[in-house]
Amino acid sequence: MNTTKKLPAEPLLVILANVIIVTIVYLMLTLNEIPSLIIIAAIILGLLSAEKAGFVNYLFAMYIRHKKLAFFSVLICVLALPVLLATQRYTAHIACLAAIYAMICLGLNFQMGSTDMVNFAPAAFTGIGAYSMAAVTVNMGLSPWLGMLMAIVFSCLAGLLIGLPTLRTKGYYLSLVTMALQLAFTQLIKNIPYLGGPNGISGVKSLNIGDFYFYKSYHLFGVKLAPQIPLLILCIGVLMLMVYIAMRINITRWGLSLNNIAQDEVAANCLGVNCDRQKLFAFVIGSVFCGIGGALYGGLASFVGYTDFTFARSLIYICMVILGGMDNPVGVVVGSLLLTVIMEKVRSFADYGQIIYAVILVTVLIVRPAGLIPKRVRNYCQLYKFQLKRGEKTAEAPVEP
Amino acid sequence: MSFFLDLIVSAILLGCTYTLVAIGFSLFFGVMDVVVFCCGDIAIFGTFAILGSYTIMQGLGVIQSWPLLFIILSLLVIGAVICALLGLFTYRLSIKPFERTSALMPLLSTIAMGIVIKEVIGLFFMPATNGLSRLFAGANAVTVVSGRNPQGFPSLLSLGGSTDVRDAIIVAVTIGILLLLFIFLNKTKAGLAMQAISQNKELSMMTGINVHRSIILTFVIGGVILAIGGFLLGNYQTVMSFDNGAMFGVKGFSAAVVGGLRNTWGAILGGMLLAFVEVFISGYVGTAYSSIVAFIVVVIFIIFKPEGIIGEKTVEKV
Repeated sequence: MNTTKKLPAEPLLVILANVIIVTIVYLMLTLNEIPSLIIIAAIILGLLSAEKAGFVNYLFAMYIRHKKLAFFSVLICVLALPVLLATQRYTAHIACLAAIYAMICLGLNFQMGSTDMVNFAPAAFTGIGAYSMAAVTVNMGLSPWLGMLMAIVFSCLAGLLIGLPTLRTKGYYLSLVTMALQLAFTQLIKNIPYLGGPNGISGVKSLNIGDFYFYKSYHLFGVKLAPQIPLLILCIGVLMLMVYIAMRINITRWGLSLNNIAQDEVAANCLGVNCDRQKLFAFVIGSVFCGIGGALYGGLASFVGYTDFTFARSLIYICMVILGGMDNPVGVVVGSLLLTVIMEKVRSFADYGQIIYAVILVTVLIVRPAGLIPKRVRNYCQLYKFQLKRGEKTAEAPVEP
Repeated sequence: MSFFLDLIVSAILLGCTYTLVAIGFSLFFGVMDVVVFCCGDIAIFGTFAILGSYTIMQGLGVIQSWPLLFIILSLLVIGAVICALLGLFTYRLSIKPFERTSALMPLLSTIAMGIVIKEVIGLFFMPATNGLSRLFAGANAVTVVSGRNPQGFPSLLSLGGSTDVRDAIIVAVTIGILLLLFIFLNKTKAGLAMQAISQNKELSMMTGINVHRSIILTFVIGGVILAIGGFLLGNYQTVMSFDNGAMFGVKGFSAAVVGGLRNTWGAILGGMLLAFVEVFISGYVGTAYSSIVAFIVVVIFIIFKPEGIIGEKTVEKV
């Protein structure tokens, strides 16, 4: 399909597409196991065929042409989600988890998708964020906002610490370094009494503004809301901000240079890309995203234990990124949403959880290694035409839930 | 002093098992240029295959009637055949499809394969063993309980209840396998072909080496070595859990990298070094910190000597 062709009622189509997406997400979250899994299968097949027919490209082009409308309709549709889920505790919990996992996967995507450095330690970064939050709020009894700040600072430092060795290594060796650090992290957490050792820390406080707590049940218009609803709104807000940042980085020179390093480091060096700085940047920003996700996770679960930050969990994040589509923020968000819902819906077969992930990973790698929504060719021509016409300075990509 | 000697003995034993897995890694890496990450899980699958067959044999009553050597040999043959088949299966499903893609794809797919193997053990070891046991032995069937819990491994090698004999056998078997592998790689045509492939695949194809057959042979040999490694590990640790494979695999891979990925002797050195670090830290500092220190040693090695203890430095060419 020609992406430059314009249909007459494009603004309406944009709104319609957003409404359809949110409806599908809502149905996927709320239905029972079997219908929900059928919807997920339909989404996967639909995305594959839509990609083949060029429909996804067309949709992206349409969003770029009407980006203001697209942005505000997405905002309204996505914020309708917490309203729709207002009384359903468990579904709201799943939605929160999906948003948090999407943040972590966006962070991982900087390293794995853009720069092709397979980082096996996203769970460790997440754990650093979650444990900073827990230590600040429970062990020291301070404000959760300070915990969030500490989570960002510590995950940033950890990203630097793991990023530095990667400047000297690449390929398998880099993967082994991150793998070793991930395994060492789990062992270390288990053996620090201050962090609760194998028992973890319970009673982690969630964020609050004055008397308004983000994890508390409120009554609104006589309806008792699920306690996760304020946190869900916060998570969606943070996620949208992160998607925006990731997309902005993706289309700027920095994102291009990350791709350049992935394809040929020597060539990147010759072109004047500061490889060391760019790699460190990918690690630090990725780990900060993971750290923020971890801090929110601590607030959501109100308990942190080492079992949530193991090597197996890292593999799950990797699986999400590969399923969704490497180096495409929208794809990563879709992948993490789908896998989170699959995992929560098959919870009754908890023993089969890991095997399901592994089989999905092998299948995706063999059948479609690029993921459900693969990375797009950066269409600067379209962006700049838009910019010239409107006389605007910014050239941003669309934001999608 | 005797504590010190005990530590050395257990370090050597642990080093033997790491060495066998590390050799699996370097064999596969040499021929295929990919890291086959599920080596540890294949070895554990072999261990559980042997354990399952032992349970079935107990039901049949052959354990009491057959001579011990014969039992051990038949168990090893079963384990080796199963592991060789599993190696071929892994190659077909998670390495062959990625021959022309980026090198990290097979790493991810073999990790996923390792999880599949691990979970298959966890989910199906108990029903499969008990089912087969009942099928063959009927009323006398000996069954295992709860496949997801650690399983006791029969102490087949400790003749007369002494662990010294077992230790000696473990070391002797490892040395024997290393010698056989050395002879195979350097004196036979198939072994030389494998070395040629590891040096230059295209050129060896041109000189008339059947690369595909050599790769299959590598996976069969690797599977057999991993099965023996798993058997020795089972005898050494006496209690095995289905999820030991991942850690075992990471340690084996680390040993191979520390020693030098393309070098068989490097695998021995790396395995021994890692085992000594681990055993001495757990002996003098605390068991909890042994893995942490071992991994930190690995990271330091990769950063400062990425080509390994033995291994020539490669200069990147444009």
